[in-house]
Amino acid sequence: MTLSPFLRRLGLWGITALVMVVLPLLLRQGFALSMLSQMGIAVIFALSYNMLLGQTGMLSFGHAVYYGLGAYFSAHALNAIGAGKLGIPVTLLPLVGGVAGLSFGIVFGYVTTKRSGTPFAMISLGIAEMVAACALMFPGFFGGEGGIATNRQVGSAWLGITYGPQIQVYYLIAGWCLLSMIAMFALTHTPLGRMANAVRDNAERVRFVGYNPTRIRFMMLCLSTFFAGVAGGLGAINYELVTAENVGTVVSGNVLVMAFIGGVGHFFGPIIGAVLVSFLQSALSSYTQAWLLYFGLFFMVMVLFAPGGMASLIMIHAPVVRAKRMGTLALPYLVSGLLALVMLAGLVGLVEMIYFLETGAEVGKPLKLFGLALMPSTTGPWVGAMAVMLGGAAAFAWSLRLVRDAWARVHAYLQVQEGL
Amino acid sequence: MSAPALELRAVHKSFGKTAIINGVDLSIAKGERHAIIGPNGAGKSTLFNLISARFPLTSGDIVLHGEPVTGLPPQEINRRGLGRSFQITNIFPRLSVFENVRCAVLWSMGYRYSFWHRVSALRAVRERADEVVSLIGMERRRDRLAGVLSYAEQRALEIGVTVAGGADVILLDEPTAGMSRSETEDAVELIRTVSEGKTLVMVEHDMGVVFGLADRISVLVYGRVLASDVPTAIRSNKAVQEAYLGAED
Repeated sequence: MTLSPFLRRLGLWGITALVMVVLPLLLRQGFALSMLSQMGIAVIFALSYNMLLGQTGMLSFGHAVYYGLGAYFSAHALNAIGAGKLGIPVTLLPLVGGVAGLSFGIVFGYVTTKRSGTPFAMISLGIAEMVAACALMFPGFFGGEGGIATNRQVGSAWLGITYGPQIQVYYLIAGWCLLSMIAMFALTHTPLGRMANAVRDNAERVRFVGYNPTRIRFMMLCLSTFFAGVAGGLGAINYELVTAENVGTVVSGNVLVMAFIGGVGHFFGPIIGAVLVSFLQSALSSYTQAWLLYFGLFFMVMVLFAPGGMASLIMIHAPVVRAKRMGTLALPYLVSGLLALVMLAGLVGLVEMIYFLETGAEVGKPLKLFGLALMPSTTGPWVGAMAVMLGGAAAFAWSLRLVRDAWARVHAYLQVQEGL
Repeated sequence: MSAPALELRAVHKSFGKTAIINGVDLSIAKGERHAIIGPNGAGKSTLFNLISARFPLTSGDIVLHGEPVTGLPPQEINRRGLGRSFQITNIFPRLSVFENVRCAVLWSMGYRYSFWHRVSALRAVRERADEVVSLIGMERRRDRLAGVLSYAEQRALEIGVTVAGGADVILLDEPTAGMSRSETEDAVELIRTVSEGKTLVMVEHDMGVVFGLADRISVLVYGRVLASDVPTAIRSNKAVQEAYLGAED
């Protein structure tokens, strides 16, 4: 507690940078590297989204418009560099995406930010649909169904950086990610950033302390679209392909889910959300066809039981950690966690067996799951999975009492401490 | 004599066909503490909403420091030196007490929509905000979220947010409503302090507060000013007694 907040923050950014540098060296598979690249892009995009939702209280269903248009303009710029018509280094290409995102942010934002709340959400959805429709109407720019393909190994290689190997692209993304994170964090501590929170809390009152809430929403949207465009530019470099899907509502919905799962109430929430969701999307999808179903269930559980997201789950433990009382919670958490896993295993068994039957399994072949060879054509595995799931659920429900009791003890302790 | 701080000229307001304010003329001198009283539904809060541009006028003019401000948006009127509080507490619940006050300070200190200043490095802003926090007696609650404060504390913060921007015309809408006797006494002291050297207009139901604080009183009945005078004259005014004060006998 002797460090000044500034030094502590500097240390935190330093550790973040170090983790970003070291991670790809520890995880050497190509799969991990492309996943880390995807995460870096998602982090920028999710944080830019949260400048609207978490910080200014604007629910947007169309943030992919700025990501996607940033990506398209970057891809065209990349192709122009390749054709020798444009002379900017690939390293700075995300700026093209950022400026493109910002330009459309200014145009669309001028219209959308005239309203707040539900009307804003509806207009953002309308603009998203409009841009998605344009993507198919103007194949010259958007490349039609096939999208715009590009090649990142263009321009003069500076210090031998060609952006051929994925590791170089990863470090490009990591660098931009770190810069964007710092910039967006710094923004939350400026007069505009603080007033954005005031608009979120009570837009009407803002007018009576001299500010125009419409102007604040507009400026926050513009700045947020710049970072969305930067993420889009990195996407163009990373995937070397931009399709109409990139401006679509699925991507817009995805960034909302990332921000929400991570937690919109804390700056670092969307970072967790972006990392977690990217991980689930690439890891889970390689294990099971039913991954979207699991992902949907996970999102529902979060919305129902932890509407503040991962960040709020972490932050409620901060005072407990400070009071060195995590020990009280550890055992109940462990028991509950294990029982939740049992319940989940039963559920996974059922879901996988249904998928196994539905997707035309070869007759007579068993389903391999958790090291077992199950025969979904017989009743045994179904009864077993059901029993595991229901038994697990009952035990889990019982174990929640332990968690509640432990929390009650911790609360009592914290209250006594506060009184002293 | 200098121009009045605030002037209302033939102000009318109708919601649909219902006329709420029927031609109010009012002139409030600089440095005056002016109370507006009247029965429920007389249009007192509506009058405040018209002066602060929360609602548009149907007709008439509002003049602040000798300049007409009719039709300007609320933020513009606030920038010209008019601060107002709300009858129903209207603060920023997820910001701390200090941050609430700081939001109200930023514009007047010239930082506007800046996204290139670090707000914690703005010493003058911090000092002004802390000054207001201690003025409203909330140093010990400085870093609490405004949403979890007690009712009386939120009312005090409401006044802090109203005056923090340095407004020289202060409108307080029922600042002591719902308070206990001792809380009311504290609130009166606070109002006296924050309105020192400024022009105060307040809507208030508590006659003890009104007669203790006001230099002049206007009585509003059915959207019209029935009388506007010094407290002793208002107390002995026959029409006022019949319409309003008489109810106490």
